[in-house]
Amino acid sequence: MRERAGPASTAVIVDQPRRPDFDAIVVGAGPAGSAAALELARAGHSVALLERGPFPGAKNVYGGVVYGRVLDELIPRWYDEMPVQRWVTRRQTMVLDGERSMTVDFRSQNWGSAPYNGATTYRAEFDEWLAGHAQKAGAVLVPSTVATRLLRTESGRIVGVRTDRPDGDLTATVVIACDGVNSFLAKQAGLVPGDQAAHTTLGVKETLALPRKTIDERFGVSANEGVDIEMLGCTQGIPGGGFLYTNAETLSVGLVLGLRGLAESGRRPEEILAELKRHPSIQPLVRGAELVEYSAHLIPEGGYDTMPRLVGDGLLVAGDAAAMCLAAGIWLEGVNFALGSGMYAGRAAASALAAGDLAGLREYKRLLESSFVLADHKKLRKAPGLVLSERMQRRYPGLVCDLVEGMFTVENPRPKPGVRKLLRASAKRHGVTLRELARDALTGLRTFG
Amino acid sequence: MAARAWCSGMADPLVVVLLRWTDARARIDPLSGEVESDPRGAGPSEADRCALEHGLRIAEAAGGRCVAVTLAPEEATELLRDALACGADAVLRVAVAPWDPRVPDSGAATARALATAIRAELGEPSLVLTGDHSADRGTGSTPAFLAAELDCAQALGLVRLSYADGELRALRRLDRGRRERLAIPLPAVCSVEPAGLRLRRASLPSTLAARTAAIPVVAGTVEAEPVTAHAARPLRPRAKELPAPREADPRLRLLRLTGAHEEREPPRVVVTDDPAEAADELLDYLRGKGYL
Repeated sequence: MRERAGPASTAVIVDQPRRPDFDAIVVGAGPAGSAAALELARAGHSVALLERGPFPGAKNVYGGVVYGRVLDELIPRWYDEMPVQRWVTRRQTMVLDGERSMTVDFRSQNWGSAPYNGATTYRAEFDEWLAGHAQKAGAVLVPSTVATRLLRTESGRIVGVRTDRPDGDLTATVVIACDGVNSFLAKQAGLVPGDQAAHTTLGVKETLALPRKTIDERFGVSANEGVDIEMLGCTQGIPGGGFLYTNAETLSVGLVLGLRGLAESGRRPEEILAELKRHPSIQPLVRGAELVEYSAHLIPEGGYDTMPRLVGDGLLVAGDAAAMCLAAGIWLEGVNFALGSGMYAGRAAASALAAGDLAGLREYKRLLESSFVLADHKKLRKAPGLVLSERMQRRYPGLVCDLVEGMFTVENPRPKPGVRKLLRASAKRHGVTLRELARDALTGLRTFG
Repeated sequence: MAARAWCSGMADPLVVVLLRWTDARARIDPLSGEVESDPRGAGPSEADRCALEHGLRIAEAAGGRCVAVTLAPEEATELLRDALACGADAVLRVAVAPWDPRVPDSGAATARALATAIRAELGEPSLVLTGDHSADRGTGSTPAFLAAELDCAQALGLVRLSYADGELRALRRLDRGRRERLAIPLPAVCSVEPAGLRLRRASLPSTLAARTAAIPVVAGTVEAEPVTAHAARPLRPRAKELPAPREADPRLRLLRLTGAHEEREPPRVVVTDDPAEAADELLDYLRGKGYL
C-alpha cells in the first residue's frame, strides 16, 4: 500500500545509516525550504529538497505581500529578478462595521523603487524562482514526493524520512521540516505542543481578474505600483480579518477566520467572503471582476507562545511548520519570516555538518533570537491575543465607526460634540467600559510600542 | 491478419514511446480566442502516460529496450526525467529551434522529424507507442503519418495491449460499446487510449537518479510549416437566413420553420466487417446525397 502522511503516522525505527544518502534533507520547497536548501548547498553540502507538488509552488495558496529585506542577505539584488506582480506603494488599514468603514491610508513612492519594501507575487512563480536558486547551487529537487514519516534510530536521533514512493526511504545527517502548517514531521518528532486548532485560522481567498488599467484606476496606482489593504470587522463576528491585494491583472481578496469561531458560527467561509465583497467600501473595487480561483489554507496565527520546539535530535523546524507567521493586526507577514527561519536553519545545519557535531543545531534558535524572526515574534507575542479578542473583533469596529461618524456628521445648528463625549457614548453603545478601553490601549502600547 | 513473430530479425527489440508535451489546462479567452498556457502545468496526457506504461511492460516482457521520445522545447525535460524515473532505458528530446507550440499540430511534419530522429539516434524501432492524441486536442494524425514514414502497420484507439508468446495483441474500442481484437503485425505504430492501466509510480532511487541524468537532445527539422493563424477571433457563426413561411396559421408557420412533419429518409444502420463493403456503402451514401 502506498505510504501516506497523516496525523496518526509515527516515526519509523531504523538502524543508524552507515553512510547517509545526503548531508541534509529539506522537506518542502516553499520559501523556508528553498532558503534552507540554498544555504546548505552554498556551503557545499549535499541536500535533497523534497516537494509534494509537481513543481515548487504548485500546491500553494497565497495572496499576500513578500517583504524582501531578508532577501537582501539571501540573494543580492533579488528585486532585479524576482517574479513580481506589483510593488506595494500604498498601504491601507480598514475598519468595517455594517455599511461603514474607516480607513487609514498611507502611500510612499519610496517603496516603488529599489531597494523596495514589499511586492505582491504569485507564489507558483516565486517558489519556483527561489527553488531554482537552490538547484543552481547544487540542491537536488525531488518533486511529486511526500515525506510521510520520519526515520529515527532507537536512541531517538532523526536520520531521514520515508516518502510515498516505492523504495522511498531517504537518509541524511540532518532533516529540516518545512512541510507547512500542520507539520506531520514536527508532530512525529513530538515538537508540537497542545491544541493546534485553537490558534490556527482558515484563510480563504478569491483571485479576481480585472484589466490592468481598471485596477490602476480603482486603486489610484500606476505602472507596477500596488496596494495592500488589511481589514478588521469584516468577519461577521468570527475572530479574524480580511485582506485585498492588487496583482498585475488580478485582485486577491480574502478572509482569515479562526477555526473554532468559524465552526461555532455554522457559517460557510465563502458566504462571509461574498458579504465582504458586497460591502460598499469593497464592492466598487471588485465590481465586474471575473472569479478565476477560489482557495483555502490553514494559517498558524498563534505567534510566539504557540510555536513548536524548533530543534530536535537531528531535526530543525522552519516556516509555517514552526508557526512563523506574524499576525499582529497592523502587521500580517509570513513569507519573510519563512525565508528568515529557513535561511537560519540552513546556516545552523551547515555549521553543524561542517563541525561534525549535531549539537550545533541548537545554534538555530540563537540565530533566530538574534534576528528579526524571533525578536519580532517575541515582542509581539501578545498581539494575536489582542487582535483576535472579542472586544477587538466585535465591539471596536463599531465603536470606531460610531466615533468617526459622530465627528464628521454635521448637525447644525447643534454645536459639535467633543471627542471625549462621543467616545464615551460610542463605548457605552458597544458595551465597552472606559476601563477596558484603557486596558486594551495599554496592552496595545506595550505590544506595539 | 496473423501476427508476425516479435522482432523477427531484430536482436535488440526497441520499443519507442512518443510523449507529447502538452498543457492540458490551457485557458482560452472566450472573447479574444487567445490561448494562455503555463509550461509548469504541461506534461504528457493521460493517454501518453498509459502508452509509457504499456511500453515499459512490453519491453520488460520481450527483453527489449524502452525509449521515451518527445518533440518539445527544453521545458519538457521534466517529462523525460519522469519517464526515466519510471523505468525507461533511455530518453531523447527532439528539439526544434525556434520552438513554435503549433509544431506538434502538424502531424506529417512531426512524424517526419520524429522518424528521422528515431532512425538516426536509436535505429529501427520494433514498436512505437503513443497516446491517442485526439482526446487531448491533438490532431491524431501523427501516428498514421509516422507509420507511413517508418513503413509499418498502424493500430489506433487501443484500450488493451499485451505481448505474449511472441505476439502483440490488442483490444480496440469501437463505437457503440463494441470491441475489436487485433493481432498486430510488427513493426507497428500503436496509439492507446487512457484506459485499463495507470503509469507506475517511480521509486525514490530511480527518481533521484533521473534528477541528475543527462537528457540527450537531437536537433529536429520540421520541414512543413505548421498551420498559421493570422488572426484569432471567437466563433460567431452567421445566422442562417430562412424565408418567412407563407402560411397565415401560427401553427403551420411553426411547422414550416421547424420542418417537424416533413417526410425524411429514415436512418439506416449498416453493419459489416468487410472493408470493401463498408467503402461501397459510404460511396453509395455520398452519391445518393449528391456529393459524388
